[in-house]
Amino acid sequence: MLVRDVMRRPVLTVDERATLRSAYQVMQDHHIRHLPVTRAGKLVGIVTDRDIRLAVSPLAEGGPRHLEAAVGSIMSQPVLSADPLDPVEEAARLMRRRKIGALPVLEGEELVGIVTGIDLLDALVILTGVEKPSGRLEVRLPDRPGELGRLTQFLGREGINIHSLLTYPDDPKTVRAVLRVGTPMTHQVAEMLRIEGFNVIWPPQKKG
Amino acid sequence: MSVPVLYHPAYKTYTFGPEHPFSPRRLEMLLSLLEAWGHAVPRRPLQPATREEVLTVHAERLVRRVEGCSVGEVAADVEHYGLGTADTPIFPGMDEATRWLVGGTLEAARMILRGEAREVLQLGGGLHHAQYDRSSGFCVYNDLSVAIRHLTRAGLRVAYLDIDVHHGDGVQWIHYDEAEVLTLSLHESGRYLFPGTGAIYEIGKGAGLGRKLNVPLEPFTQDESYLEVFEAVLEPALAWFRPDVMVIQCGADAHFLDPLADLVLSTRAYQKLFLRMREYVREFSGGKAVYTLGGGYSLDATTRVWAMLYLLLQGHPLPDRLPEAWRQHWEGQLHKALTPTLHDAADSIPKIPRRPEIVRHNWGQVVRLLELVKPYWT
Repeated sequence: MLVRDVMRRPVLTVDERATLRSAYQVMQDHHIRHLPVTRAGKLVGIVTDRDIRLAVSPLAEGGPRHLEAAVGSIMSQPVLSADPLDPVEEAARLMRRRKIGALPVLEGEELVGIVTGIDLLDALVILTGVEKPSGRLEVRLPDRPGELGRLTQFLGREGINIHSLLTYPDDPKTVRAVLRVGTPMTHQVAEMLRIEGFNVIWPPQKKG
Repeated sequence: MSVPVLYHPAYKTYTFGPEHPFSPRRLEMLLSLLEAWGHAVPRRPLQPATREEVLTVHAERLVRRVEGCSVGEVAADVEHYGLGTADTPIFPGMDEATRWLVGGTLEAARMILRGEAREVLQLGGGLHHAQYDRSSGFCVYNDLSVAIRHLTRAGLRVAYLDIDVHHGDGVQWIHYDEAEVLTLSLHESGRYLFPGTGAIYEIGKGAGLGRKLNVPLEPFTQDESYLEVFEAVLEPALAWFRPDVMVIQCGADAHFLDPLADLVLSTRAYQKLFLRMREYVREFSGGKAVYTLGGGYSLDATTRVWAMLYLLLQGHPLPDRLPEAWRQHWEGQLHKALTPTLHDAADSIPKIPRRPEIVRHNWGQVVRLLELVKPYWT
């Protein structure tokens, strides 16, 4: 999943000469919290609703700004941006590390979209969500080449369709694979996997 | 007054093969058990539902593909319609076999509309996973929704209750935006179990908002926690909605012996559940209800749970032991030991160390669910 799959477009922007009042109004009207700032159509900064609220408040360093001040005087710059072809986790990592809530998306010099924390949450829901009727399987695999292949081949041979597959490091030597498979019979699938020697964590073995 | 029981031998043609858990054997064991107790179930002059009746809830393109599969003309894209999969394989005559079950559930609804009965037990059906344009999870067509739609078109308000261990997703989605259908499903959480839906925030849309209720339960939920949440959700929901009739899917797969899921109910819980259910039918829906079967894949447990449902509905006392001859016959057939008593032995019920945590979690779900839906109960 790439940034271009989750970004919002078209992007609303303001010119750096726009007033704080008008920039704030744009955000209110469109229910957004981030506005890229442009000079002659090129991205030069970004401003958030909190930036504006702080700038006009008594808490602002050096006293409150006037509502008619230019956005360019308070914007954050340079702007951190993403490329449409970046993987979503790359965007997430950057936003997390720099503690920012949005990344304008640039294709060369052209502003083509914006991606926010909310869009990344949407991506998470899609990546882990239930798109089709399915049950959950969790398998602990040794962290070495071919193990995941062995698992998916086995399911393929049994005619079991995999709707989604997530893997994450479990401990230094193993990886946990979480699958959603298109069958109500996950207990039977788990039994078959155990017979094949797989370490199945879910579903558990039933007595009876 | 006894409760009419609907059954026809054609119900047994709904079968996905000898290895498949959704087996007509469950019905054979149940009928022979009732017979051994002197309650032989007579066959009724039932009819399969017509194509038009199926089309009241399903897309024509799905029906066309099921009809094709039925006669061996399998379209290339049947997998997109949930057919020809490991769980819902293709079998000759599947269209008609399913229409028999739909016809039975529909007839139960008609008997109530005609005033011939207040409660009807349909010994089959409960195919709650089938969706508008997709068969799913052992369910080709949705008999429950066909019956529900027939009732709502006659002007009735229907409360659908689903105690199968799997979420009643098909029924929920088919009626998702309908004001006149309240759906209530208690099931093992979709985080683990098929079909994966049935979270508390699925509460309906449009006119149906606040009228679709789900109680996802933690794996290894036991009797007390189940009954506690059942009462906490059903009483306020039914007291508010006041249905004209209830349609109840009585899947028996939340039992601890069930091989497909992870709830650990005992037969004692089912007894309390069926009695409580019937109280609600009397108290909140004018005594009118259609009961269907559903999931239930431990032959041993499912037979006993459904036998109990039959006996309780007819007002018969519950025998302590199962008939010896019946048990020996089926032990010979299945090559495994069967529980000799109607109820589970106390020492067979699993001990669950995480119990307090599970009870707490389930209760938390109920609190949040009611917070979500109550604003719409005006």
